[in-house]
Amino acid sequence: MIRIKSPLLRWLLIGLAISFSVGLLGLSFWLVRLDQDVRARYAGVRWVLPAQVYASPLELYPGARISVTELRRELERLGYRASDELTGPGTFAVSGSELRVDTRAFAFWDGVQPEMRLALKSDASGLTSLRAMGSDASIDLLRLDPMLIGSIYPSHSGEDRVLVKLSEVPPLLPATLIRVEDRAFADHFGISPKGILRAAVSNLFGGRGRKQGGSTLTQQLIKNLFLSNEQSYGRKINEALMAILLERHVSKDDILEAYLNEVWLGQDGSRAIHGFGLASQFYFNKPLNELRPAEIALLVGIAKGPTVYNPRKYPERVKDRRDLVLQLMEDGGLIRDDEREAEALTPLGVQNSVAGGVERYPAFIDLVRRQIKGLYREEDLGSEGLRIFTTLDPRAQERLEARIIADLPDLEKNRQLKPGTLQAAGVVTSVEGGEVLAMVGDRNVRYPGFNRALDSQRPIGSLAKPFVYLAALADPGRYNLYSSIADEAIDLKMPNGSRWAPKNYDRQLHGNVPLHVALAKSYNLPTVRIGLDIGVDRVHDLIEAAGLQGPPRLPSMFLGAINASPLDVAQIYSTLAASGYLTPLLAIREVMTKEGQPLSRYSFQLKQTLPEGPVYLTTWAMQKVIEFGTGRWAVSVLPAGQKFAGKTGTTDDARDSWFAGFGSDRVAVVWVGRDDNKPVGLDGAAGALRIWGRLMRDLDARGIDLTPPAGVEEAQIDPVTGLLADEGCAAQVTVPFLSGALPKDYAPCANAGQSSPLDWLKDIFR
Amino acid sequence: MTLFLTVTAARKPRVLTPVALVAVALLAACVAQPTVPTRPESTQQTQPPALPPTTAPAPAPATTIPPLLPTQPSGRPQPSAESFPKTLAAAGTGPAVLALARQAQTFRSAGRPQDALGQYERALRIEPKNAFVWQAMAETHLALHNVEQAESAARKSNSLARGNPWLELGNWRVIAAALGVYGDSPAAQAARTRADEIGSALAASSGGGALPAASAVP
Repeated sequence: MIRIKSPLLRWLLIGLAISFSVGLLGLSFWLVRLDQDVRARYAGVRWVLPAQVYASPLELYPGARISVTELRRELERLGYRASDELTGPGTFAVSGSELRVDTRAFAFWDGVQPEMRLALKSDASGLTSLRAMGSDASIDLLRLDPMLIGSIYPSHSGEDRVLVKLSEVPPLLPATLIRVEDRAFADHFGISPKGILRAAVSNLFGGRGRKQGGSTLTQQLIKNLFLSNEQSYGRKINEALMAILLERHVSKDDILEAYLNEVWLGQDGSRAIHGFGLASQFYFNKPLNELRPAEIALLVGIAKGPTVYNPRKYPERVKDRRDLVLQLMEDGGLIRDDEREAEALTPLGVQNSVAGGVERYPAFIDLVRRQIKGLYREEDLGSEGLRIFTTLDPRAQERLEARIIADLPDLEKNRQLKPGTLQAAGVVTSVEGGEVLAMVGDRNVRYPGFNRALDSQRPIGSLAKPFVYLAALADPGRYNLYSSIADEAIDLKMPNGSRWAPKNYDRQLHGNVPLHVALAKSYNLPTVRIGLDIGVDRVHDLIEAAGLQGPPRLPSMFLGAINASPLDVAQIYSTLAASGYLTPLLAIREVMTKEGQPLSRYSFQLKQTLPEGPVYLTTWAMQKVIEFGTGRWAVSVLPAGQKFAGKTGTTDDARDSWFAGFGSDRVAVVWVGRDDNKPVGLDGAAGALRIWGRLMRDLDARGIDLTPPAGVEEAQIDPVTGLLADEGCAAQVTVPFLSGALPKDYAPCANAGQSSPLDWLKDIFR
Repeated sequence: MTLFLTVTAARKPRVLTPVALVAVALLAACVAQPTVPTRPESTQQTQPPALPPTTAPAPAPATTIPPLLPTQPSGRPQPSAESFPKTLAAAGTGPAVLALARQAQTFRSAGRPQDALGQYERALRIEPKNAFVWQAMAETHLALHNVEQAESAARKSNSLARGNPWLELGNWRVIAAALGVYGDSPAAQAARTRADEIGSALAASSGGGALPAASAVP
């Protein structure tokens, strides 16, 4: 035993020993606490999983009205790749009129549809044959996987991700990640002393340049999950200790899986792209398991710094980085030399952010967000990974967007307006089922700002008129489609003492006009006359029954002094289009949990709120709007032989240009105007109608079914008098009437009109 | 001769009871109609058909029951009941919708009516005006005790039935059952009477042949 003579030294050593023990004890306590902390925190890691929003899936069946060319477009939108041969799910091959496709498996609400290899043929009318490859049996029906169109992520963190399981990712991805970021991952205990040393030396001599890492994947995960971004030794030590502790509790596979889902891989405005699952969609518009080696190399490469290595901004820098990763892959024996060479020759393949599936349809996603808000808690929407299946029809959406993008500049040119002056919004819905198929809220269709389709409340002008006529036609004792209405000046004293003297749009008076002509030509004075006769309350009630609450109970309502959004208009016109059945317009069909369990389904809801017969008559008059009225321009673009119903809407001084109308399967509403509410010099016919007509043509919308419903009878009418006609009349038109309310008298031109009992006897003996 | 018959056909529906109307309509169906409507001799004012209250969410059923068989436009031959399809398959339905209806039926048999509704909705996206699918949907809603939707879908089917008495029979049965859930109201009774009337008219016209089961969907 060594004897220490100096008492000073002895006390010093004792002191040292005590403080060392205390320190050790303290460290142990701290480590135990840190250990508990790491375990608790890791166990408590709940991935922020924003709700994923899907478009409606395309249904394929023999007879479907889609050509091979359109189908090809659809597949490309879904990120399917064209090749000569099918090489796995997500690939297709076209040869002439035949298309072969290897569809992706997808878990739908009603079950999983497995991957399938199909051969399809089409002609001018649509799909003619659909069969499984290697089989002659025809397939009745099949869905393509729906397009991911966005996510509802929490606004505070902006964190967006699509969760993946390690067992489901291509093995090349984790292998490459380990090769590039942490070669010793399989063997180390959480930190890599060699790596730290290397980094320390490099940082010491590297000056003030970028600091080198040296962190293991485990350390990076700890930092991403639990620690701030601060660069301090204290944080570094904490991070290292926590990494060591985490490795004691969690398997390497779990750490790897967590890393794959946590890592930040890009930024899209306020939205942060986390995890390889979402990054694959974000950059390549396809699922992770369909990535090529070069694409995997790119994603692993940009993990180093998604801002510096933003492939959309710095493609050359990223290509260098990707090729370096490909080289590391080859060095590690993950790919062969010839594979690396071939892969290095491929372009980056990064999709334009606009084309890349997610966040393409801001107006529609906005509607989904609002409709789902009342149904789920916001924190669940942002974090529980719900899968929301919507009604969006990407084909309809694309056509609506294309029309607004193409036609608005034309309208500006025609009116010599400065480019960019006009704004527009549009909505397309299905007639039965009330599904919102497409929505645009800004002429810049990707701009996620003010959504005019939902939020602009503009006077609807003459779009209100059909409800005035509906009220009249529902009173068959007084009105039918040929009732003569006086187009004469009106001067009303209002209850508040003011006077109201509406004028026709053309400032002319037209004498007596048949009721349906007054609607077709959108005459104001006959409309007001009818409205006053029927009563404000009755018209008000019909508009409410059609689905728009709270129109003001004033005569000016007859001419559309009602503020509404394009979606509101779509709602009330849908009720007319669906023969008087109100179906609340919906954007959501189904919601599933992230595990694929059905949560809720929103089925068609309908209720008859308008009388069917009068709605049929009103629709008949609205067909005349297009046949010879204010909407007749549309005849030049709509398919010949098919009937569509609609109405122009123009507000004071032509500030708003509207058109709303429908066939038998589609309702479309278009608004054109200015945000500053200045006159645009366009009435409904010169503005919105142009977009609407071509849109209905592009949508391949079907014309109205002309069979009268129960309770409606058709009769031959003399168009001059509106009375019954027969072969004695030079002109006869077929006009529907409510049953029991046919005209009782014959027109003067009719033979029957002059008939007497004697003629009747002559007839018998003839 | 022809003239007299025409007058009868054109005027009688206004004054006859629904049962008699069936007889007239079926009789009329056998006779070729002239194309010129005849001037009514009577000036008696007929009541305009009562309309559903527009502010109320649902029309009062008692006031909205349309004529038993739809009044055909004057001058057109009245089709016989046998000329109407009795089943979805006979109604010119495409294979995709038939496949979905089969799938829906499987779900219904398996006690998964919600999933069946989903299939019918898929079918309606393909053939939105298929009255048989609307009827099957009404029956499924009824099985789920969604009585309002059962009634609405059955009425929708009637609207699209275009006079098909086989469809109308099934729809009125659904409406009667849906309205009957909350007790035997006059509206429920009226709907049941309507179904019975169509049923007996069909039995009579088809020589007492078997009537279709409530579900016309395979």
